[in-house]
Amino acid sequence: MKYINRRKLLGTLFALPFIGLTTSALAQSEVTISHYFTGELGLKAFGEQMEKFEAATSYKMKNSPVGHEDFKTDILVRASGSSLPDVFSYWAGARVQFIADSDSLKPIDQMWNEAGLDQIVAKTVADSATMYNGKRFLVPFNYHYSGMFYNTKVMADAGITKMPTDWNGFLALCKELQSKGITPIALGSKNRWPAQFWFDYLLLRSAGPDYRAQLMAGKASYDDPQVKQAMGMWKALVDAGYFVENANANTWTDASDQVARGDAAMTLMGTWITGYWNGLGLVPGADYDFFPFPSIMAGVPSASVGPVDGLVIGANTTNPKGAEEFLKFMVSDTGVQAAWSKAQGALSANVNVDASNYNSVMLKAFETVKNSDAFAFNYDLATPPPVAEVGLSMFARFMDDPSGVDEIMKQTAQDAAGAFNE
Amino acid sequence: MRGLSWTPLIKASMERDKRLWRIVLLTPPLLVFSVLIVGPLLSSFYYSFTNWNGFSSSYQFVGLSNFQKIWTDRLFFQATVNTIIWMVSALLLPTLLGLVLALLLDSKVRGGKFFKTIFYLPICLSAIVVGQIWIWIYQPNWGLLNTLIEEITGERFRYAWLAKPDSALFSVIVAWSWQQTGLSMVIYLAGLTAIPSEILESSASEGATTWQRIWYIIIPLLIPSTVVVIALSVINSLKGFDILYIMTGGGPFNSSDTLAMHMYNESFKKYLIGYGSSISVVLFVIALIIIGIYFRQLRKFDQIYGQ
Amino acid sequence: MFGYKKNNDSGIHSWPVVIFIILLILSILFLAPTFGVLLSSVKTTRDIALGELWKIPNELYFGNYVEVLSNPAVGQYFVNTLLVTVPATFASIVLGSLAGYVFAKLPFRGSEILFLILVSGMFFPPQVILIPLFRLFNSLGLIDTLWPIFLVHTALGIPICSLLMRNFFSTIPAEVREAAILDGANEWQILTRIALPLSLSALAVLATLQFTWIWNDFLWPLIFTQSDEKRTIMIGIVNLRGQYTVAWGVQGALSLIASLPTILIFLFFQRYFIKGMTMGAVKG
Repeated sequence: MKYINRRKLLGTLFALPFIGLTTSALAQSEVTISHYFTGELGLKAFGEQMEKFEAATSYKMKNSPVGHEDFKTDILVRASGSSLPDVFSYWAGARVQFIADSDSLKPIDQMWNEAGLDQIVAKTVADSATMYNGKRFLVPFNYHYSGMFYNTKVMADAGITKMPTDWNGFLALCKELQSKGITPIALGSKNRWPAQFWFDYLLLRSAGPDYRAQLMAGKASYDDPQVKQAMGMWKALVDAGYFVENANANTWTDASDQVARGDAAMTLMGTWITGYWNGLGLVPGADYDFFPFPSIMAGVPSASVGPVDGLVIGANTTNPKGAEEFLKFMVSDTGVQAAWSKAQGALSANVNVDASNYNSVMLKAFETVKNSDAFAFNYDLATPPPVAEVGLSMFARFMDDPSGVDEIMKQTAQDAAGAFNE
Repeated sequence: MRGLSWTPLIKASMERDKRLWRIVLLTPPLLVFSVLIVGPLLSSFYYSFTNWNGFSSSYQFVGLSNFQKIWTDRLFFQATVNTIIWMVSALLLPTLLGLVLALLLDSKVRGGKFFKTIFYLPICLSAIVVGQIWIWIYQPNWGLLNTLIEEITGERFRYAWLAKPDSALFSVIVAWSWQQTGLSMVIYLAGLTAIPSEILESSASEGATTWQRIWYIIIPLLIPSTVVVIALSVINSLKGFDILYIMTGGGPFNSSDTLAMHMYNESFKKYLIGYGSSISVVLFVIALIIIGIYFRQLRKFDQIYGQ
Repeated sequence: MFGYKKNNDSGIHSWPVVIFIILLILSILFLAPTFGVLLSSVKTTRDIALGELWKIPNELYFGNYVEVLSNPAVGQYFVNTLLVTVPATFASIVLGSLAGYVFAKLPFRGSEILFLILVSGMFFPPQVILIPLFRLFNSLGLIDTLWPIFLVHTALGIPICSLLMRNFFSTIPAEVREAAILDGANEWQILTRIALPLSLSALAVLATLQFTWIWNDFLWPLIFTQSDEKRTIMIGIVNLRGQYTVAWGVQGALSLIASLPTILIFLFFQRYFIKGMTMGAVKG
């Protein structure tokens, strides 16, 4: 310690401002990003979109992809150390709400208005996905729609020509398939979340989007009659043997494979299944198609369910301008949106993306969402994370043994109420 | 050596030297340990008195309310039971199997090196791939296990090992033991090399049978290795996370949760860092109690077997 | 060694055959899962997804290996993992030996309790200190470098290394040390010239185990590194899991390649497990 060279000390002090200048200059041109688009296709495709941004602007992206589940841990850890990246991908809905409430995000109202994104982002998605606590925080990068995807050959062989639009028609369809020796519905609920679409649609179609919103917000209870009714309908399906056995043992890809092979007829899943099936060599329209979840009660508004993947900006970003430019570019550049949605089997929230970008099935999904009365986020994105855990476990328990449904729902109501109090 | 009388002066200077060396030798490891382990651990325990969710820059002190919550948390009790089951299994399965393998391999049987490698191989694989391959073994429709059972019995067998709450935990423990056995084996083998061959040969020439040799000489001399093996197995079971995470994630619906997994779910999935930390505290206290008991037993053993 | 004799009427010379058969059966059982990984690496992701994993393939698909080996990032991942694993293995063993020697040969009042505290460092899941450690390294500006991974693995390895080394050092009789002191040696010389050489088999075991654990870990690299150039091989495997699908075949191939170093380390250190290494000291 005695040997601090005075000259060296002076030199360092002198140099500090310059170092400061250069690092801030670097910061000006670099944007850090973390996202969960991994896997062969996702990584490559996202990398390509980033390159387009870098080519169009003077910014450099510092990329940090993390696998889906681990991403949740990673973002939390980074937030705890106040070192969130400039930009990161996140699921619109209750999860963004959660971190927005914790002041972890930077509002983007100014950028939104200046870039005229009201004209670019589809209204149904924009309202529900981008606005929180009265401010805008997120741009939708892509979204998915959840529908009843089926194997066209299996349906044709069973002599089914018209897809059901209401509940009775759906029940008749299942009965018909079963009589021909085909398992009607495939479900792979090993990771719990695939089962949520059943809960979502059954509740939406019978009790309506308003009631569901209440339940998601903790203002209604899981042992309400509306929930009981929806669960009862679900139970009826399982008891009749319309679901594959051991649903909890299969992942959603296992279930999708069952439909692809013809072992089951249909599965309620998001549009990403098209990306998966295309990868297996199936042809949209010829080998597979979908129909919207049937209506259950007349007069109930038709809602579409699906997740919205968005991009958000960390609250203490060191490069707000660069981050905002990135968000703006990613959502408004039609080249990026078209390429990305195609690679992901997703839908673009950008209204300027040409419909010809979609294959026949995706186009149908696009139209369905456009024509539905509301767009709702799927269960684990619609309710706060602690409650989502309770609900997801409930679905798995139910699929394991539906006979205990009353007991299960009572327990769930209790657990959910406790989770909301956190 | 013992008969020599050291003069008080020499003794004192020896003591001083000893003290010096204690400090010199212990400081580096203890320093690293304190800064990187003890500090963060205490930090984490501190969070258990708050309601932090990881994202907010502010949180409140909630005193002992997190700990009170543990009492009424049914998932916590399930997790505790599961952890105990795992620990007991860890004491039995990989430890005994590892010992048996080490004894078999120590006999200079032909191809010993080849066998050793095969049994050790599982450890070289990461938890990610071990978890995944065992998922494929347990797969109800085309997995190896059910396929074999169907071949043997000729009947349709589609039991979902990992999806049924009754079998999920144990299925994971089997997979974990498969990996862990090689570890026990390796440590026992190292311990066996420390047994002087002269003792064994002289006992053989005195007419001791193989079983007598194993039971009365080898096993007692393997106590130090057993100490390590048991410690490692129990500790790994307490931590048992990666493979559980990959195979079931604590499911189906929390039925295979261990305390470590429960802590992870509460902290990182529900964003209840405060509550998760309080679970860690309890986990740690349980572990300390076990370790205390274990070492007390060890001291008794030392007294019986000398050294 | 069982010390079976050649002419013994209890039929002991049939032991080798019986042992061999038992080992053969066990090893086949043991090998099955590893064989499964091998199978997954030579099949297409599609085949595996369709449930064909356990069928013996008619033809082998090497595309997975091609994909892995032609990816330049994989080489960088390997280098990073090596840069972290070797130093951390070495450092934790060194520090563990220092501590183990003191606890075994130079105990003092309260050293039992101190040892307990040290060993208790093994007793909790690492997720517990995830956040505090991140905050620590973040404030030091070390995030997205390889330093935190190295430091944390070193620290986490100290308990087990101390435990094992203390055990082995305690099997060295006190007379040996006292004789050395009489000859004028100080503790450091005793540790390095006498105790450590006697504990080679323990050191070999530790080196193998530590290397394997550190190499296969994915938690710390996940949290402490962010850019691709700093990632380790395990993160490479984890990132093969897409948002909705997993590239099974590639994962299998990469996993096997990633486990080669740990297998090689084991094969290298194996010869130190053979008997006789620790002999000599007991006889004085």
